[in-house]
Amino acid sequence: MSAAVRGTREQYRRTRSEQVGVFLRGDWWRIVLLGLFLVGGIAPLVMAFLISLKTIPQFARQPFALTFPLHWENYGFAFEIVLEFLKNSMIISGVTVVGVLLLASLSAYAFGILEFPGRQVLFYLVLSLMMVPSAMTLIPSFVLVKDLGLMNTYWAMILPWIASGQVFAMFILRTFFESLPKELFDAARIDGASEWQGYWRIALPLSKSMLGVAAILNILGTWNNLIWPYLTVQKQALLPLTPGLWAYQTEYFTRYGLTMAGLLLGSIPLVILFVFTSRWFVAGLTSGAIKV
Amino acid sequence: MAVKEMPALSNTASQAVDIQERRKPLGRRIYEGRVAYTMLAPTFVFLLVFMYYPALLGLYRSVYKWAPGLSADFVGLGNFIQLFTKDRVFLNSMDHMLQLAAWYVVSTVGVSLFIAVLIHRLRGGRTQYTFRLGMILPVVIPAIVPLMLWKFIYDVKVGPLNAILIWAGLEDWTRAWLSDPNVALYAVMLRNFPWVDGVAILILLAGLQAIPYEIVESAMIDGATEMRRFWSIELPLIAGQIKLISVLTIMWGVQEFTAVFAMTQGGPINSTMVPGMWMFFNAFRINKMGYASAIGVVLFLLTLVLTMINLKYITTEEY
Repeated sequence: MSAAVRGTREQYRRTRSEQVGVFLRGDWWRIVLLGLFLVGGIAPLVMAFLISLKTIPQFARQPFALTFPLHWENYGFAFEIVLEFLKNSMIISGVTVVGVLLLASLSAYAFGILEFPGRQVLFYLVLSLMMVPSAMTLIPSFVLVKDLGLMNTYWAMILPWIASGQVFAMFILRTFFESLPKELFDAARIDGASEWQGYWRIALPLSKSMLGVAAILNILGTWNNLIWPYLTVQKQALLPLTPGLWAYQTEYFTRYGLTMAGLLLGSIPLVILFVFTSRWFVAGLTSGAIKV
Repeated sequence: MAVKEMPALSNTASQAVDIQERRKPLGRRIYEGRVAYTMLAPTFVFLLVFMYYPALLGLYRSVYKWAPGLSADFVGLGNFIQLFTKDRVFLNSMDHMLQLAAWYVVSTVGVSLFIAVLIHRLRGGRTQYTFRLGMILPVVIPAIVPLMLWKFIYDVKVGPLNAILIWAGLEDWTRAWLSDPNVALYAVMLRNFPWVDGVAILILLAGLQAIPYEIVESAMIDGATEMRRFWSIELPLIAGQIKLISVLTIMWGVQEFTAVFAMTQGGPINSTMVPGMWMFFNAFRINKMGYASAIGVVLFLLTLVLTMINLKYITTEEY
């Protein structure tokens, strides 16, 4: 937006606020409404926190308000169990996201920057996979993983998730690579750089924020998957967080203090990741690269 | 404006190169594309093994009566005929799925649009940023956590929903929300109140912010009210984003069964059964893998039809 436009906008705002008066600038009721939505969304978490500090008798007497003494040791108990799940989730989602970014950026570079016979056909072959719902491949994938002898290993989750995750990541990266000026790559070629150097030294460093968005969306997807790990992993010690929390909650169902503490502890790692990456994520999502 | 002419120039240049390229024999061009093929190779290895093969196998197995380890019997379209003529549970599950998907679209678009417009109209840049962050933050809570919390909220004995109703003097309204076949589907549907969807809000907000301010300003000068500004200017201009969110939500809603799986497993007496859950049940509880594959194929065809409709009617509009 040019400076002139911003100027008129400021002017417009100022005259408006003078008309309506300082106290009724019109923002307060919007803030109240938005605040209500936020509070409504967070209320279950607050409830979980209050309950997480109770023993069974405390919960029976006074389920929702705070009861003293506060039993922080519930978190200690939950931590021991959740820690194992967390370790598994980090390994699985971590390896998956590295694989996805590597494969997706390579193929996005080929489709977006390079010219070769069959580019269109191959691209539509990948595009068609967007229409195949995961429900359709669930059963055959399960049989495949079983036949490959991958049951009860991390690979049962990592390999299929790399395959399915790279499709979407490739799309957003390709759109982004295509928007980069072609002259950059031409200049590098004239200077004698190979395509691999163009990929590694030019395309990747320029697309850090897009790689970040692709990474976070991928991690969210694998982190939240309940059904597939439930099917392929029977050993408790290998369960990732989502099915782990589910099993934990089923096991300790009536000990509400412990289950709530576990659910809250399990929420923390992604929140931490997000605090460090939210700027990228928000910028990437609102940059207009994601559209029909 | 000199910049504008540059692409035009290089365009004709690249066309000339293109014609030269096309004169080369195909074998030579393929050889020159070897770097590209090498870059694509790992992707396609993964896709072949873990995407194409299972997808084709799913299609193939849907015409068999089949359980792993046993010999498969070819039944033609028998599985599909049974699904649509004899299987009451499946037909009801399709009905439930449509109700759920319709609600997901209405609530996601409606609530997200309302919130996005509210945030867009905020005058303070800092409050705008704060609320934007506040709305997106819950996205990173693992999806299983709200599901489990809402299962607890609906609990008949200790759940806060019944407690609130009793406190408000509405004792007759209390019930076992997830175990009463009459209300279980709606309980699953209405979970996660107030249905804030951070990603949808961000996408809509990006659309609103991309509208050139001159358009809004000229309308305001002509005396348009806030409501008029929304209905006549902003809504038509973010139609693309609204369509995108609707399409993504419908596609997701057709195959989604994690919520049902975690909260009710399709019960009580199949009152919350959705096709995905019914497929899971057939495949992994009673070992009717061929029959379950047929359900998967039905879901695939449904997605395909929806994609076709959306490719036909949805175009991105620029202004």
